[in-house]
Amino acid sequence: MSAAKLERLLNLTALLLETPRPLSAVEIRDRLGMYADETDAFRRAFERDKDDLRGMGVPLEVQAVPGVLPAVEGYRIPKDRYYLRDPGLSADELAALHLAASVVQIDGLSAREGLLKLGGMVGESDGAMGLAVAALPAGNVGPLFGAIAAQTPVRFTYRGTERTVDPYRLDFLRGRWYLSGFDHTRDDERVYRLDRFESGVERLGRPRFERPATAMPGGALEPWQIGEEEAVDAQVLVDAAQAPWIVQHLGPGSLAEERADGSVVVTMTVTNRDSFRSFVLTFLDHAEVLGPPELRADVVEWLEALAA
Amino acid sequence: MSTGAPQAPARTKASDRVARMLAMVPWIASHDGPTVDEICERFQVSRRKLLEDLEVLSLVGVPPYTPDTLIEVTIEGDRVWLRFAEMFARPLHLTPEQGLALVVAGRASQALPGTDAGGPLATALVKVAAVLGIDPDDAVSVALGETRPGVLDRLRRATAAGRRVRLDYYAYSRDQRTTRDVDPHAVFAHEGAWYVRGYCHQAEDQRLFRVDRIYGVEVLDEAFTPPDDPDTGGVFEPGPDTPRVTLDLAPAARWVVETYPVDDVGPAPGRSGRLRVRLWVSATPWLERLLVRLGPDVRVVDADVPGLADAGRNAARRILGRYGEQAADGSVTGAR
Repeated sequence: MSAAKLERLLNLTALLLETPRPLSAVEIRDRLGMYADETDAFRRAFERDKDDLRGMGVPLEVQAVPGVLPAVEGYRIPKDRYYLRDPGLSADELAALHLAASVVQIDGLSAREGLLKLGGMVGESDGAMGLAVAALPAGNVGPLFGAIAAQTPVRFTYRGTERTVDPYRLDFLRGRWYLSGFDHTRDDERVYRLDRFESGVERLGRPRFERPATAMPGGALEPWQIGEEEAVDAQVLVDAAQAPWIVQHLGPGSLAEERADGSVVVTMTVTNRDSFRSFVLTFLDHAEVLGPPELRADVVEWLEALAA
Repeated sequence: MSTGAPQAPARTKASDRVARMLAMVPWIASHDGPTVDEICERFQVSRRKLLEDLEVLSLVGVPPYTPDTLIEVTIEGDRVWLRFAEMFARPLHLTPEQGLALVVAGRASQALPGTDAGGPLATALVKVAAVLGIDPDDAVSVALGETRPGVLDRLRRATAAGRRVRLDYYAYSRDQRTTRDVDPHAVFAHEGAWYVRGYCHQAEDQRLFRVDRIYGVEVLDEAFTPPDDPDTGGVFEPGPDTPRVTLDLAPAARWVVETYPVDDVGPAPGRSGRLRVRLWVSATPWLERLLVRLGPDVRVVDADVPGLADAGRNAARRILGRYGEQAADGSVTGAR
C-alpha cells in the first residue's frame, strides 16, 4: 500500500471531521487535491476510500449539500459519533484488559484493535501462563451486541420464521451463544440458540426500545427449563460418585438433602419433561427420580419400553 | 454459521494501518514526548513502520494545507511530540465487534480463579461498558466451564511450572472414580468445558481430562519436562482398537451426528427418513447413556463387539432395578 493512499485516507478523515457542512464529492476532490482529475478514476478511488472508512467503523454520513439545487449528496463525519469518549482507564486497568484478551478470544474478532484505541498494549499478556486459552465461536454475536448496545431491534430467521426481536442479552453457556429478547413476531420473550439461526442478522436501526426491568434473567437456563410445560419441582437422588458434580452444576441452592453414604437429593424445577428425563438418564443407575410421582412414572415407563 | 448477514466492507491493509494510526495519534499527542520504544510496544508496531507513519502524519492536516494547518511532528533524541492534531483529539469510537471482544474477554476472565472481584479488571469493564452504553452484567455473560474452587488455578500453575499432579477424577465414559498421576501439558476451554491434556502415568499414555469432573488436585514434587510438540488433537481420538457401533437414528436424534465423531453416515435403507451412522464407542457406559436417552429414536443395527448391541436394553434393566426396589416398599417420594 502506498504512502499516498495512507496520506489521502487520513486527510479525507480530517477534512470530513472538520467540515462544518456536508461536502459533495467534487468539493472533496477539489479541496484535498489528492485524487485523479479524470472523473471515472476519481469516482473509483473515492468509492474505495469510502468503503475503507466504513470498514474501519468511521461514521460517514451522507446528507444533501445545503442550498444546492438540484440536490447533491454530501459527506461528513460527525465528531460526536466519531470520538470515543475517554473511559479514563488506569494503567492497571488497561493491563488487566490486555491480559484478559490474551486468555479469551472470539474467533475472528480481535480485542487488539479495541485495546489500541483505549491506550495500547500495557503489561504482560498470558505468555507466562500461556496455557488457558479459550476460543469462542463468533457467528452473529458482533451485530447482535451492537444492537443490544444501541437498543435497536434486529431481524433474523429462526425455526422457519422471520422474526423481529428487541435483543436484550447474550449468554455463552455450555459452549454455545444464546440470545434473549422480546420477539415481536411471537409477542413474547424468547431465548434463541445462535447456532440455530437460519439467516444472518439484519440490524433495523429503529425504533429504539426500552428494556423492561422485569425482563427474564437471560439464557442461563438448563435444557429442562427451556419449555412451556407447567413448572414442577422434581427431587432427584444422585449417588456419591456424581454428587459433587451435580451440586456444582446446579448450584448449592439446589441441594435438598445430604445422606450419610455421600449421596445427595437435589431439587430441579422442570418445564420440559423430555429434557429432564434425558438429563437424569445420563447418570445411568447412579441417579433416581424420587418425585413427584408422575415424573418418576414417566422415567419408569420410558425404561420399561426399552427393557422389553 | 452466519450467512447473508449484511457485512461491513472488507478491511484492507490500508485501512488496518489507518486504524492503527488513528488510535496512536491521540495517545502520542496527549502525552509529553513518549519514547519511540514505548510507542512501538504499546501500539505493536516496528520502529521502521512507526517512523514511516510519523512521516506520513506530517503531511496530514486541513485545507489549505499550508505548514501551519498540518500536524507538526517533532522527533528529538528518542522522543516524539505531535502538535496541531486536534481533529484526531480522540480515537475512533469502538465498533460493536471491538467492544464485544473486550467485554467478552473481560467477563470470561472474571470467572477465572484468582481474579479479584473488585480488582482492575472489574473496574475496567465497568468503564468500558459505560462508554459502550451497556450494563456488562445485563448485556453479556460468559461461562467457559464449571470447575471446583482451586482446581483450575492449581492445574494452570502446575502446567506452567512443569509439575506432576495427582487427580481425583471421575471418569465419566467409564463411570468410575479414579486417582491418576498426570504430567499436565495444556489447559484449555472447549465448547463450554475446561480440559487438561497430559501424560497419564496409570494409562502410560496421553489422556484428556474434563476439569469439571476433577474433584481434587494435589501438586506433587516430581517435575517433568514439557514435550516440545504437545499433542493438540481433538477431544476424542479413536484408536485402531476402538469398537464401533452402527445405529439408525430418527430425525429427532440427528444431533448425535453433530455432537460425536462419526465414522460413516448415510440414509438408512427403506423410506423411514432415518439416518444410518457408524460411531466409535469410547466406553460402554457412553453408549448406554446415548441409547437410554434416545429411546425409540435409535435402533442398534450392528456392533463390532458382542454385548454392545444389547447395551441399551441392559442399561434400562439395570436402572429399572433401582426403581423397582423403591416401588416395592412404597416410598416413592424419597421418604427413606
